[in-house]
Amino acid sequence: MHAHDHHDLGTPAVKGEPVTLEIDGVSITVPAGTSVIRAAALAHRDIPRLCATDTLKSFGSCRLCLVHIEGRKGTPASCTTEVVPGMKVHTQSEQLERLRRNVLELYVSEHPMGSCPASAGCELESLAAQHGIRESRYAVGTTARAAHMPAAVDASNPYFVADDSLCIVCSRCVRACEDQQGTFALTIEGRGLESRVAASQRQPFFESECVSCGACVEACPTGALLEKSVIAVDQLPERSVRTTCAYCGVGCSLIAEVSADAVTRMVPDRAGRANQGHACVKGRFAYGYATHGDRVTRPLIRERITDEWREVSWDEAISHAAAEFKRIQAKYGRDSIGGITSSRCTNEETFLVQKLVRAAFGNNNVDTCARVCHSPTGYGLKHTLGESAGTQEFVSVQQADVIMVIGASPTEAHPVFASQMKRRLRAGAKLIVVDPRAIALVKSPHVAADYHLRLLPGTNVAVINALAHVVVTEGLTRDDYIADRCERESYEKWRAFISDPKNSPEAVETVTGVPAALVRGAARLYARGPNSAIYYGLGVTEHSQGTTMVMGIANLAMATGNLGREGVGVSPLRGQNNVQGSCDMGSFPHEFSGYRHVSDDATRGLFESMWKVQLGSEPGLRIPNMFEAALDGSFKGLYIQGEDFAQSDPNTAHVTAALSAMECIVIQDIFHNETAKFAHVFLPGSSFLEKDGTFTNAERRISRVRKVIEPLAGFADWQVTMRLSNALGYAMDYSHPSQIMDEIAALTPTFTGVSYEKLDRLGSIQWPCNDAAPQGTPTMHVDQFVRGKGKFHVTAYVPTRERTSAKYPLLLTTGRVLTQYNVGAQTRRTANLAWHSEDRLELHPHDAEARGIEHGDWVGVTSRAGDTVLRVEITDRVAPGVVYTTFHFPESGANLITTENSDWATNCPEYKVTAVQVVKVAQPRAWQRRRQEAAPAEPAVSPN
Amino acid sequence: MTGAPVRLFVPGDSGAVSVGADTVARDLAIECRRRGIDAQIVRTGSRGMYWLEPLVEVQTPEGRVGYGPVKAGDIPRLLDAGMLEGAVDDLRLGDVDRHPWMRSQQRLTGARLGLVDPQDIDDYLSHGGYLGLEAALSLSPREIVQRITDSGLRGRGGAAFPTGIKWNTVLEQPAAQKYIACNADEGDSGTFADRMLMEGDPFALIEGMTIAGIAVGATQGYIYLRIEYPHAARTLEAALEQARERGYLGDDVLGSGKTFDIEVRRGAGAYICGEETSMLESLQGRRGEVRVRPPLPAIKGLFDRPTVVNNVVTLATVPVILARGAEFYRDFGMGRSRGTVMLQLAGNVKHGGLVECGFGLTVRELVHRYGGGTATGRPVRAVQIGGPLGAYLPASRFDTPLEYEALAAMDALLGHGGVVVFDDSVDMADMARHAFAFCALESCGKCTPCRIGSTRGVQLLDRLVTSPDGARAADKALIEELCDTMAEGSLCGLGGMTPFPVRSALRHFPEDF
Amino acid sequence: MDVQRLVAMANDIAAFFDAESGNAAPEGVRNHLSKFWEPRMRREIIEHLRKGGEGLCPTASAAIEKLAADPSVS
Repeated sequence: MHAHDHHDLGTPAVKGEPVTLEIDGVSITVPAGTSVIRAAALAHRDIPRLCATDTLKSFGSCRLCLVHIEGRKGTPASCTTEVVPGMKVHTQSEQLERLRRNVLELYVSEHPMGSCPASAGCELESLAAQHGIRESRYAVGTTARAAHMPAAVDASNPYFVADDSLCIVCSRCVRACEDQQGTFALTIEGRGLESRVAASQRQPFFESECVSCGACVEACPTGALLEKSVIAVDQLPERSVRTTCAYCGVGCSLIAEVSADAVTRMVPDRAGRANQGHACVKGRFAYGYATHGDRVTRPLIRERITDEWREVSWDEAISHAAAEFKRIQAKYGRDSIGGITSSRCTNEETFLVQKLVRAAFGNNNVDTCARVCHSPTGYGLKHTLGESAGTQEFVSVQQADVIMVIGASPTEAHPVFASQMKRRLRAGAKLIVVDPRAIALVKSPHVAADYHLRLLPGTNVAVINALAHVVVTEGLTRDDYIADRCERESYEKWRAFISDPKNSPEAVETVTGVPAALVRGAARLYARGPNSAIYYGLGVTEHSQGTTMVMGIANLAMATGNLGREGVGVSPLRGQNNVQGSCDMGSFPHEFSGYRHVSDDATRGLFESMWKVQLGSEPGLRIPNMFEAALDGSFKGLYIQGEDFAQSDPNTAHVTAALSAMECIVIQDIFHNETAKFAHVFLPGSSFLEKDGTFTNAERRISRVRKVIEPLAGFADWQVTMRLSNALGYAMDYSHPSQIMDEIAALTPTFTGVSYEKLDRLGSIQWPCNDAAPQGTPTMHVDQFVRGKGKFHVTAYVPTRERTSAKYPLLLTTGRVLTQYNVGAQTRRTANLAWHSEDRLELHPHDAEARGIEHGDWVGVTSRAGDTVLRVEITDRVAPGVVYTTFHFPESGANLITTENSDWATNCPEYKVTAVQVVKVAQPRAWQRRRQEAAPAEPAVSPN
Repeated sequence: MTGAPVRLFVPGDSGAVSVGADTVARDLAIECRRRGIDAQIVRTGSRGMYWLEPLVEVQTPEGRVGYGPVKAGDIPRLLDAGMLEGAVDDLRLGDVDRHPWMRSQQRLTGARLGLVDPQDIDDYLSHGGYLGLEAALSLSPREIVQRITDSGLRGRGGAAFPTGIKWNTVLEQPAAQKYIACNADEGDSGTFADRMLMEGDPFALIEGMTIAGIAVGATQGYIYLRIEYPHAARTLEAALEQARERGYLGDDVLGSGKTFDIEVRRGAGAYICGEETSMLESLQGRRGEVRVRPPLPAIKGLFDRPTVVNNVVTLATVPVILARGAEFYRDFGMGRSRGTVMLQLAGNVKHGGLVECGFGLTVRELVHRYGGGTATGRPVRAVQIGGPLGAYLPASRFDTPLEYEALAAMDALLGHGGVVVFDDSVDMADMARHAFAFCALESCGKCTPCRIGSTRGVQLLDRLVTSPDGARAADKALIEELCDTMAEGSLCGLGGMTPFPVRSALRHFPEDF
Repeated sequence: MDVQRLVAMANDIAAFFDAESGNAAPEGVRNHLSKFWEPRMRREIIEHLRKGGEGLCPTASAAIEKLAADPSVS
């Protein structure tokens, strides 16, 4: 069932020339290609239907939407009939009414009235009721589906049930799985009246290929596929709130349906520009963590980290934290404290934390978790194109002819965008995958990569250079574009560099492990496009040459003219909901919002006059620098909003030593986490459901987060930051986050046109949004690059310091799975555990055989930095010599083994390359066993 | 004996084989060898006189003399009697071409049935084969299509859509890839013309498809063959192989520089796959389920490319039109039904088989003159024309000419040309129930009127038998309403045509309800 | 601060600018250090250079020398 406040128009919107027609005497103009049913709905002449819904192509099976069209024979189905200029449609007549009633009666003979729970909002039953049908004249004896083809209710999926007895075989679920999600898990099996929906090979949903995106559940017009949460309430929702998903960087627009102040269901917003009415297993279903019993809802303090936590009032916690920070600054100097913003929080909250650091702490020691993911994107794109952000809108992919995916696994980490990409691929676009691992896109139903460049971890730059070498030396460059739009001098220099035979695919083959012929083929395909688009993830950035690789990607795109229009571009797939936003908001220690360096006097002057305080002109400490400074005793206090260093940052031993050396760590989070073990003050955070604000997704789209329920701990995060600032003596006075956005707009040239009023009006806005682009900017660099002329950079391949050796012969790389999210703090507290309850090490069969390791064995993974134990999965998704794991569970200790190597420009850690040895062991380490045995950690709290 | 071997013809048609033709052929060979007779036994298709099968023919100076029905046990006696010289016997039929059943027919599409060796392309060539293709290659694609249009040929699969118009639509599509899809999923009960052609004269179909491909610019053809026709599959594969070897298929058809080839794809036993959009889905390896039109297959067909979808008879008729001209063909038939029709007479009939003649033969002529009345000898009560979804006609309407418009005027249809005869013991309520049951069994399950309505129809008729008089009128009205819903609301002909037999039974035989 | 870590970082930066800027590499590195290194990091690396600069590559050393000459640094 679609969202309860949604007016379903029957078929999807199309683009086309205006066509005017008449429906029941009402004149309406719609784009050519629109169906009659949609035109009628737009004219408020809704035509009954059961198999049509506006997320799916018309199917024409229910035969309820039949109409009369003047000059045409019979009663065509309005869902499959396109409008024609001057067409005269009649949606009502005695004949039509008789036909519709009769078809409804046929349905009701199989699906008696009252079969579905009231909360299902069964479309069939309400339609039948509208037509005055209470029972069917065809119903004799055992005509009900439950009687003639009994089947057990399939409740195997944690979030929804499949009850075949309520099914009306409209195929909406099957089509949603195919068209919207692209998984092809569902089919109709059997024929005639025996037709029924089957998941994979008649398996329970949970055991099938279903990825639990929920599109089928939403598509279902009856209660045949229904959320368990909806069954539990047995009433229609009291209200709906539009908000934005807080998981990945796709930033899906969601509608939270609420009853009795609890979310009963999440439904993707069909008007959502980013998600186009789709969602995934996390966004749609895994929101239960927000009200999980582990939530910390009372402020906590303690003197030493060995003490037990003490519940205190908000006032006491805030004043204690403020007093500690003041004490530390008095003793160790102004620069001895800092703050961390969170890419999980809103723009407004992020902006406030960096303001707190710069204005109230009086230094620039602010950084953000984007440091460890996409900081090289910001640096690399700023220096080549002029703006630290992706160039496209997601829907741009529908115009792409060639798609190159580098170091990303969209089906796992950005599933909703992956579905859009797969739709385009099914329509014929070509695919190049550059990844050490055979990600799902390499081969999945109806999608296959034309080229899979299976490089060795750490050799990205060698591969991108080889691709560019082919483009340049085979004359595939767009010389007119380059001459027109790029810096000539930088191009000439780069051209000379890249043409050097040492960058040829043949020369680097032994380094990268990619056959030269594949690189040549892929380069030609990409260069010839005509529209070629690059999408990349952390497999690009999390390397010692992360920034160089981002520049290499920009070089390739500029040289082939693939920037500045729809269907092309360079698009970083952001890992977290608000990575783009947290960077935009001035979370980095060297720059203010809008990526302006703190040393720039004019910018600083602007902030100083607005904030009425003197600001520092020197860059502050980055996160890894903070750890170094903590270890040498010059950095003693830290305010951390929504980040878990101790689990997420590399070389855990080093991080925990640094945290232990500090005198006051203030954590603001919704759950206890690994870092909180080193904290002195715990300020309860608020989940995305509990506050107003905005998130900015990977396509620079600013979307509203709206409060669905009251904050569990009484305050939203922005309110807590404000109180802390006031306690520190720097006054902040906001009564609503919209006022913070107004301040951001006033201080940030790319945001001057942004306001909550405009966001409400337009739904969402892609920055830059200002006088030059009042509606926002879907595609960047259209006429010229933001920096003026595009600048090529010489991107010499420098091998990482991390090398394999006899002692550490394998290369470990990391990634995510669909059902879990980052360090798992949220998803581990949902039923998503059913799919992925532990991290596993993927090992190639050859490497396994050489070590006598079998599937499911425990293996010790040792690097130069440390060791851990994981269960092994033997698979050829990884190449020989490469191992892979996810990092969603603290007991996996993946970061015990990652090293301190980092990107040269931004210190983004090199998570993606660690030399390791893998040996069979009997069991996990003792500490891991303790973690696994313990219930989700709730540390001892003594009542105040 | 000396000189040329004696030529004997024994049908290899599966209809003839089912009544012992293989045994007859084998025993004939053994007996001739035993007697030292140099005999050549040619396995042909069937002439279509199934009550006479196995029908053995002997080549004599006076023509081909037939004997039938021949049983294996008859062979020594026939040889003793001088069958090889065309001697008189109780089973002797005389010159088969002059047999009354054959003499009055107008065999154009089926001209070579029973005459030629279907596995021998030279035999085909010596009987006028590939003259149509040669003619076509001297014409422009537009001219070929024009000839088909001018001939008045309409689709023989049942829908009777003008073939030339369909071809022209495909011709006008600018697509780089187009297809010819031959619908050989002959599923109507009592029909066998497609099978006879594929088993008896496969080159005619191959030639027709090749001409179609050259006309519309398609380079690949598919024959969607029902799984129940293994014999036709073998014959077609052998014929395709010869056509390729001899340059009639491939990337340079007859040296024209044009490409065309054909692949046989086997169906999976679903009646609905005879419906063209289901057939295309199935050809693509998907569930055989009806697709909404538009888009028409001619614009977006197989693999979403422009596709000519024609029935076997339609395509096998194309060569004769090209070889002998549109006017020649158009001069047969009546009204808007031009050319000849392949009528397949079956059921409770004395003489069942294939009758090809110009449109316009009356039902009575077919059933009585050709069919000789019922096999049981009882009076004919009804015929069902056009397969299991065709209407029933009572004896009082037997003057109706067998052509599209006259039948349409009677709420009946010619369909694929099957005519099934019933004697006076038939229960028409049972027949109506059978129509619903057939629809329920074969429904793809996509559209509601067919998916649910067909089963409800069966249940209603069951209920009608036992329901009290008062309720019966309401139930009859509900059957009528259901028929309206299925006719007006179904997505394809399966549900849409099921009301034909039901309503005709109700209308013409009310006493049975 | 762990000066060996700073040395490694400076050398990584130098490796990029060596390829990108040739003779101008030290200036590129200097500029990067002043824009992105917090003052105490710069002070420590300058101090390390003054003690002989063990482990620093030539470009990094030249860049830090330039940094040390800038009066605004310390």
